[in-house]
Amino acid sequence: MIIKDLNHNSLHKENSKFDLEALNLGSFPNRKEERWKYTPLRALKKINFHNQLNFKIEHLSSLGIPKIEGFLIVLENGKFNSLLSNTIDLKGTELSFLNGTNIANNSDEPNHKDYFTNLNFSFLTEKVVLKIKPDVNINQPINFVNIISDDNCISNTQFNIDVFENSKLHIRQYFLGSSNSKNGFINHRNAVSLKSQSSLTIDKFQDLNQNFNFCNEFIDQEQESKFIMNTFSASGVILRNDVFNNVNGKNCHSELNGVFAPIEKQHFDNHTTINHFVADCKSFENYKGVIKESGVGVFNGKVIVHQDAQKIEAFQKNNNILLDDESKIYSKPELEIYADDVRCSHGSTTGRFDEEALFYLRSRGISVKKSLELMTLGFINEVIEKSTDSEYKEFILNKIT
Amino acid sequence: MSELLIEIKDLECRIDNQKILKGLNLKINKGEVHAIMGPNGSGKSTLSSVLAGNDNYEVTSGSINFLGEEISEMSPEERSWKGMFLAFQYPVEIPGVSNINFLRTALNERNKYYGVDSIPAKDFLKMVAEKSELVGLNNKLKNRSVNEGFSGGEKKRNEIFQMAMLDPKLSILDETDSGLDIDALKIVANGVNKLKSSENATVVITHYQRLLDYIVPDFVHVLHEGKIIKSGDKSLALELEKKGYDWLKTDENI
Repeated sequence: MIIKDLNHNSLHKENSKFDLEALNLGSFPNRKEERWKYTPLRALKKINFHNQLNFKIEHLSSLGIPKIEGFLIVLENGKFNSLLSNTIDLKGTELSFLNGTNIANNSDEPNHKDYFTNLNFSFLTEKVVLKIKPDVNINQPINFVNIISDDNCISNTQFNIDVFENSKLHIRQYFLGSSNSKNGFINHRNAVSLKSQSSLTIDKFQDLNQNFNFCNEFIDQEQESKFIMNTFSASGVILRNDVFNNVNGKNCHSELNGVFAPIEKQHFDNHTTINHFVADCKSFENYKGVIKESGVGVFNGKVIVHQDAQKIEAFQKNNNILLDDESKIYSKPELEIYADDVRCSHGSTTGRFDEEALFYLRSRGISVKKSLELMTLGFINEVIEKSTDSEYKEFILNKIT
Repeated sequence: MSELLIEIKDLECRIDNQKILKGLNLKINKGEVHAIMGPNGSGKSTLSSVLAGNDNYEVTSGSINFLGEEISEMSPEERSWKGMFLAFQYPVEIPGVSNINFLRTALNERNKYYGVDSIPAKDFLKMVAEKSELVGLNNKLKNRSVNEGFSGGEKKRNEIFQMAMLDPKLSILDETDSGLDIDALKIVANGVNKLKSSENATVVITHYQRLLDYIVPDFVHVLHEGKIIKSGDKSLALELEKKGYDWLKTDENI
């Protein structure tokens, strides 16, 4: 493995104050725009951000995640934290960082010119690039932890993942807000490139507490590649995930799953776009919302089957449970099909837990609280089961139910 | 003298402003098997739901004394901890929750209530193996989601399996015979009989005498319009099988 230049001496741009609306980055999103119709950003807009980057966390264990073995990249408040990281030598991989003055060398172009992408590029402080060379199978998951631990801190970070031909990789991403920080904001971008016959699974976990996290994810797939992303959203003031999955080669498999569980006025928004540009591919989407105590959930999934993309199989579903009258879900499954020989379906359900089932469990001596936990587990199990590691599964269940 | 397990006095209850039970009296001692029969809509299933604590039903007067304690305001889970068990007429499917996890949770919740440690995994699994054999429950069903995709017969066996696991003081079997073929009926009845002891009691709610050939009752009661209008021994069930209920209704001037 090659680790390129680590340079934290000076920052590209350091501002003591950020007024998001006053920045010259295009118009700040408002609810008149379709993509932001269900997610008001008032709470974010009124914060005075800074990007003076400090380290505060001494041990990852204080963030409520299980002990991470193996390869670990930790960013804290928009900066690579080498003390918390463990970038052991992994054969066939290449890891590099862009930061400090080098950030100006960022050759990437924002392929999506929305406000938060612009913000991310303009005030980028840390970019991690991970390349997996051809014919390499990384057995152990690679862990990426992105922390906000400072009040009012804005962190603009990027993670590029290039998996070359015939290689296989599993990444666990943790977006975390320390429990004693508030009004911090991680504005992150994942850019994934999957070469032919490669495979990548990303498990993404979001637990921001009193902080915000937006993720823009761009995935480009070449032929016969496989991409799976499981997004587990546990806490945060506003969480927003924008996934753009472009399927450019034949016989690809794309799978986006998610569980989001906002409580107490938290607002979790999942937007996905899968572009089927070519024929003979399959995509699957399965998002589950469990919403209670005035929580708000948003699911807007769009599958676009372009004109020449015949024999596509695309399935999309979103099921939601509202645990009380104060909770809300906005669900919008969308399909745009311009080819004529495809198998596609989409659907959305929203409901409550069955009263009969609750009585059944209680009659066996299971308290209301535990019964609801069991039923929640039953409801999200289909998605949680996608994870093969029982310890990780247990951790997610504990955080989400 | 046998020990009193439950005493129901002048019980009245309603659902959606409709009165269903209209002054029901019933006493059950430990070691006894009671059968409750009656025409459709007489209140049999309501009685079982009310005893188990289904809060769709409102108890408007009367009392239910279970092991010396008034339980009509008690939550279903607390009743269960104290030894009440209802085998449902229509067992509910709970997708995504395995039968095993469900039962382990149930036992642990009860242990927690009594301040007892959780049951060790090994003992639990041993118990599962033992008790499921009692009703010939297929091994695979134990790991499947609760009642999901079970046949009618499997669901009923699963109810008796749960009963065996929880070892209740009072078991109410609400039309456990419905939807069972004769072989399954024998297996289920056999399971119930094996669980019988001098410390517990069973209430069998049924439409048909057939089940009572296998689970022999000490007492048979006829429920009509929310009241018990006749009680007798097992011969009453045979008589009902022959004559139906109409003769009773005239007899009792109802």
